[in-house]
Amino acid sequence: MAAIINQKENFFKGIVKENPVFVMLLGMCPTLGVTSSGFNGLGMGVATLFVLLMSNIVVSLIKNQIPSKVRIPAFIIVIASFVTIVEMVLEAFMPFLYEQLGIFIPLIVVNCLILGRAEAFASKNTLFSSVLDALGMGIGFIIALTLLGAVRELLGSGSIFDIKLVAENANTFILFILPPGAFIALAYLAVLFNKISIKTS
Amino acid sequence: MSTSSIIVSASPHIHADRTSKKIMYDVVIALIPAFLISIYIFGFGALIVTSVAIISCLLFEYLIQKYLLKTTISIGDGSALITGILLAFNLPSNLPLWMVIVGSLVAIGIAKMSFGGLGFNIFNPALVGRVFLLISFPVQMTSWPTVLENNTVFADAVTGATPLGIIKDGLMMGETMTDLSSKLPSQMEMFLGMTGGSLGEMSALALILGGLYLLIRKVISWHIPVTMLGTMAAMTGIFWLINPEQYVNPLFHILTGGAILGAFFMATDLVTSPMTKKGMVVFAVGIGVITVVIRLFGAYPEGVSFAILIMNAFVPLINSNFKPRRFGAPIKSKIIK
Amino acid sequence: MKKKESTLINMVAAMLLITLIAGFSLGFVNELTLEPIAKSKLDQKVNALKLVLPVFDNNPVAAMILLKVENVKDSVEVYPAFLNDAFVGAAVIGTSEKGFSGLIKLMIGFKPDGTIQNIAVLEQKETPGLGTKIKDAAFINQYRDKNLAIFNAKVKKDGGEIDGLTGATITTRAFSEATQMAYDEFIKDTAFISKSKN
Repeated sequence: MAAIINQKENFFKGIVKENPVFVMLLGMCPTLGVTSSGFNGLGMGVATLFVLLMSNIVVSLIKNQIPSKVRIPAFIIVIASFVTIVEMVLEAFMPFLYEQLGIFIPLIVVNCLILGRAEAFASKNTLFSSVLDALGMGIGFIIALTLLGAVRELLGSGSIFDIKLVAENANTFILFILPPGAFIALAYLAVLFNKISIKTS
Repeated sequence: MSTSSIIVSASPHIHADRTSKKIMYDVVIALIPAFLISIYIFGFGALIVTSVAIISCLLFEYLIQKYLLKTTISIGDGSALITGILLAFNLPSNLPLWMVIVGSLVAIGIAKMSFGGLGFNIFNPALVGRVFLLISFPVQMTSWPTVLENNTVFADAVTGATPLGIIKDGLMMGETMTDLSSKLPSQMEMFLGMTGGSLGEMSALALILGGLYLLIRKVISWHIPVTMLGTMAAMTGIFWLINPEQYVNPLFHILTGGAILGAFFMATDLVTSPMTKKGMVVFAVGIGVITVVIRLFGAYPEGVSFAILIMNAFVPLINSNFKPRRFGAPIKSKIIK
Repeated sequence: MKKKESTLINMVAAMLLITLIAGFSLGFVNELTLEPIAKSKLDQKVNALKLVLPVFDNNPVAAMILLKVENVKDSVEVYPAFLNDAFVGAAVIGTSEKGFSGLIKLMIGFKPDGTIQNIAVLEQKETPGLGTKIKDAAFINQYRDKNLAIFNAKVKKDGGEIDGLTGATITTRAFSEATQMAYDEFIKDTAFISKSKN
């Protein structure tokens, strides 16, 4: 850990090279569960980014005070607290999004992306690196979820970010807004993403 | 073997000492009687839907192999041809043609090529295409033209429900089998194919003829079809004996819907069914049970395609539990679960 | 970076501290959001009521009455609406368990004579693309401004006047059943409902 960490790399790795969804396949539950439209994906992405950022900050700050045997429960409490805060704030000020995301908000607690970054990164790195890591990972997660949501919405409902592109009674691929469509769309997006990122690097 | 023929890959191919190409064309021959019947019943629509499905399956396979995978083109092996025919057999004969094309793309692109092409696909491609369409376009996929009417035009004809649909709907409304029996076609009509339904599942007689041809040519073994239909008959028979007012008789269940088409042509797909005879029996029992459960208690009136796809997913597990005995290995009396 | 030694005492202390801080901050946020949450829940209900009822100026949520009905499990919620102290109608929650995937819950707004003002779908689990079309205006419009005393709200297939949704006859039947149930309830107790201004 003595080596100087390239902070720029620290931020950008989460977006492309170690994209949490398309490359590391972390946090599949919200990824597959709520991305039935672009807005839902974006909302879940932002909520996750917030929790990830806050938990990385707190974990990075308290990392030297926590006895290593109880570090996981301690991280979970930190994460769960922030998730509960997000849930209450959403319910109070964005009831529409709260209703759409439903059960998946409390489930952010068990999003392995967040615990994974806390354990693998924030508990071993400085505050500044952890913030950059959380931002990079969080933005990568937002991009992935929004993209997946937009693709599924386009194919499944014929609209993009709630702007209807086809006639009211047109036939759209309903399968894509149902669970199997999430798996199919995710698989092909991951293929495309990795193909592009391999080509460009 | 010329370069255009199939590269033999996973072991399911080896139980016949002929090329996969010959096997594939035997299957095509076996499907001809059912196809002729469906042209007789649905007329022009059946012909158009089947041709479009075949052409688009072949075309997608060619395009994907040439431009995406950049591998040897193998559309001559007949497997895409069969996928096209079987897909069409699972569609109503008045389905909008663009949906047929989408179904072909899903069958070839997603279910077959994404897994690595023939021999590597886990799920039966034609059924994946069919289920994709069924879930995406439930209205069009469940409106069947009435038989022997309007069969010179390809259009939205008057639509009739399938026998299974009539029963599901009626029972949900609280009617009993006695009330419903007048609305149902006779068993002879179902045997010959004079009922509503998908293009190729109509005539039990024609399908059985094709199935017998495959059995005689040893393309398929009797294990899967017999076990699957037997399981269905046994299970529906038990329910029927308990309460004939709420459950229809087993013969009806076997003759109607996709049971026979599925048993002879789709569950037996060499790539997606188990390798050993014991495995096949387990596989077919599973399909039978799931089909009956969906038909009797599920939301959909018909469950054959779902059942086959679900059991397709179990094939690797079945194969690893029912390995063929190594030559010369001692016979163990271990109970395999 | 050296990991901190784990002893029983420091583990207990660390966890205690973390849970305490977490507990306090959650309590604080809860205090802050309690009121907005209650308000947004009320808003949602009022918005649904505004959609299905004629113009009103009372608070139907506060005036809500529960009626016990014989053949329904739970009591039926009725929201009476008044304008300048005159009864202008009521919203009745109609339910049916006979949907394709179970419960369908509707809010049906009636004018005082029993004519349907509008219907809002509150809960449904129907098949996307088929049964979910009960939420479309084109479908609901078939019921608007109809009085079930003279209008047969059954599906055409069952001898009524409603065009069933293609491929979702069961959903349509359940929808009509829920509407009918709410109507029967409203008609039976109109006298009581119209006097229930708080």
